[in-house]
Amino acid sequence: MMAQAVSPAAQRPQRSNFQAVQRRITDKLATGLSWLAMLIVVFVLGSILWTLLKNGLPGLTASLFTHSMGAPDTGGGLANAIVGSLLQTGLAILLGAPAGLLTGIFLAEYGANTKLARTVRFVSDMLLSAPSILIGLFIYMLLVEPFGHFSGFSGAAALSLMAMPIIVRTTEDMLRLVPVSMREAGIALGAAKWRVILFICVRAARGGIMTGVLLAIARVAGETAPLLFTSLGNSEWSLDMRRPMASLPVAIYQYAGSAYQDWMQQAWTGALLVTVGVLIINIVVRVGIRGGRT
Amino acid sequence: MGNEPAHTVTRYDQELDRLRGLVARMGGLVERQTARAIAAVVDQDEDAALEPPELDTEVDALEREAESLAIRILALRAPMAVDLRVIIAVLKITGDFERIGDYASSIARRALKVEPLDGALSFGALRNMARLVQENLHSAIEAMVNNDSECAMQVWNSDTAIDELYTAMFRELVTYMMEDPRKISPCIHLLFVAKNLERIGDHATNIAERVYYAVTGEMLPALRPRGGAAKKSG
Amino acid sequence: MNEKTMQVTPSVDAETDASAASLSDRPIAIQVNDLDFYYGKSQALHGINMVFPERSVTGMIGPSGCGKSTLLRVLNRMYDLYPGQRATGEVIFSGQNILGSGLDLNALRSRVGMVFQKPTPFPMSIYDNIAFGIRLHERVSRSEMDGRVEDALRRVALWPEVKDRLQASATALSGGQQQRLCIARTIAVRPEVILLDEPTSALDPVSTARIEELLDELKTEFTIAIVTHNMQQAARCADQVAFFYLGELVEVDSTARMFTAPRESRTQDYITGRFG
Repeated sequence: MMAQAVSPAAQRPQRSNFQAVQRRITDKLATGLSWLAMLIVVFVLGSILWTLLKNGLPGLTASLFTHSMGAPDTGGGLANAIVGSLLQTGLAILLGAPAGLLTGIFLAEYGANTKLARTVRFVSDMLLSAPSILIGLFIYMLLVEPFGHFSGFSGAAALSLMAMPIIVRTTEDMLRLVPVSMREAGIALGAAKWRVILFICVRAARGGIMTGVLLAIARVAGETAPLLFTSLGNSEWSLDMRRPMASLPVAIYQYAGSAYQDWMQQAWTGALLVTVGVLIINIVVRVGIRGGRT
Repeated sequence: MGNEPAHTVTRYDQELDRLRGLVARMGGLVERQTARAIAAVVDQDEDAALEPPELDTEVDALEREAESLAIRILALRAPMAVDLRVIIAVLKITGDFERIGDYASSIARRALKVEPLDGALSFGALRNMARLVQENLHSAIEAMVNNDSECAMQVWNSDTAIDELYTAMFRELVTYMMEDPRKISPCIHLLFVAKNLERIGDHATNIAERVYYAVTGEMLPALRPRGGAAKKSG
Repeated sequence: MNEKTMQVTPSVDAETDASAASLSDRPIAIQVNDLDFYYGKSQALHGINMVFPERSVTGMIGPSGCGKSTLLRVLNRMYDLYPGQRATGEVIFSGQNILGSGLDLNALRSRVGMVFQKPTPFPMSIYDNIAFGIRLHERVSRSEMDGRVEDALRRVALWPEVKDRLQASATALSGGQQQRLCIARTIAVRPEVILLDEPTSALDPVSTARIEELLDELKTEFTIAIVTHNMQQAARCADQVAFFYLGELVEVDSTARMFTAPRESRTQDYITGRFG
């Protein structure tokens, strides 16, 4: 009886005051370091945005959107580059998204852990981290050299190759998040597998999949390297995808390296446009995810 | 009833054990009540006659305690299968014990008003019957404590003998009363004592039935073997 | 008829006898003969023999991993989804061994519906959740579809709660409502058998009671098999109960018999809480 009467509280070891102080100091230190790191990152990001705004805003005029690129000091704009970027990115997503979606679906639903699926997954992940200049070179060999000239198509193809692995990865991941019970419920109703995947799983994962597509857009919209060897750039107004085509990143690349004051100004403004565009897409994604979860 | 492995929940076992303990104590008490009541009649023992009514309060208290414990277990543990059968059996057996206690008290209260009738009818027949009833009651309680369905079945079958003895006594007493109207009063008392003993026997049989059900899960047939021509009455 | 499935029930009491007799008089919806089941190399079911009488509720109980859910998933060939799982023996459903090859699984599953432990509303509107299953198997006009959806929702007593928001997302419903929606979705396809795999284990007591009440109504029309961890639930809902242990069917009998006087000591130990 006596032994049982000892309360658990009394058996607890006495913790020294020293330990408590030590723990509090460690806590403060870790918190402080985290704050410091965060402030550094925010400062860097802030200064980038600030520089962009400071240097880019003055060039943000109506003529930027209405005039094509021209010789220095002739009042040229970036209209052809903006449209070129929109066209190439749009086509890239049009090509890359279905392929990426289908591949993602294959990996998540059909391939699972087969050798083929593992290989596809590996290659896709390689592509995801491949240097973008390599992709440009690859398309150059494939679509530029055989035809003898640069083209908007080949630019879009290079961009789509960059977008695809992102879409593959997010699609597969999002589909894998769909609970097994949801699939089984569909199957249990007598639905064929493809119906379950298309009408139930993809539907359930559509928020995440859309996020992946938008992220892919954001990623490729700012790419320069793959376009250098493919669509090359074009200072004329052109909607012909078979011919060389201008794009914002390439225009920025060309103008920023020049010695002309107004080209450099336009490079800053172009950079601001790209950044704001990507920022908007990112915000849409964030809001979309929040909306999709409820 | 007690041969199964332990419950995962130890408290459950403790409660069931306590319940079994309560009915076992009740069984002991009513056995003593019955024995003393019979002694009061056949030995005309005045002290013995006082005991059964006194014990009755204790029996009643035990019945209430067992009943509320059984209800508690039913409500809180949702007993199944053998546990359920035991608890249902206990609920009914305590009722049987309580009735037996009442009959024993009733016999004891009449004990001194009965007088041995000279000559033809002594307490001999009553003694025989009392012995059988006590045996049956004892066996029924034994069957209950030991979860012995065979023993219960024996009790259930041997009630016939008690019924036959009672019927014989009934006929004899009726004849006696017709022969000598002056003896009607003591004969009536004796008849009531016999009747109460017969009822105790019936309750012992009920207990046996309940034990049999609790142990085996099977119900004995609704009609049990009956002896004699006397029809069953309240 | 298999011998093991045709045991004569000894007398317990008149009512139990009557219910047992009426069960064995019923036509058989599903008959399982010598069923073995394997997850890869490990055997999960050993020589199961039992019948599911028509228009009655069969409760399946047993500790986790005893094979009760496995058996349920054999009855609609759900295990086919997973390579490495296989069943041998016979499961006779409307005169056909459903374990045989060349069977139209989608057609089978339209006749043997299933409801799962966790409510699984599809990511679409309440209306479309019901319509989805119907569209899989039938071509129905818009107005007929409206009628079918309403009927299914009424059957599960969900209609009054959702009739004004049929186009709202099904995922916005409460857990109990979602589960009733899933049952509605299953019966909308007009199956003959409904399999329920612990359908209330994720629900509160009131929702549970509603589902149990629903089962009582549904069994006048469907053959129901329900796996449950809740013994009281099996006792409340089922007409016959099967006890599984370590992949074996230990005992199957009328519910009253199982919970008052089971024949097997393993059954008794399990249902009285004397296990392990």
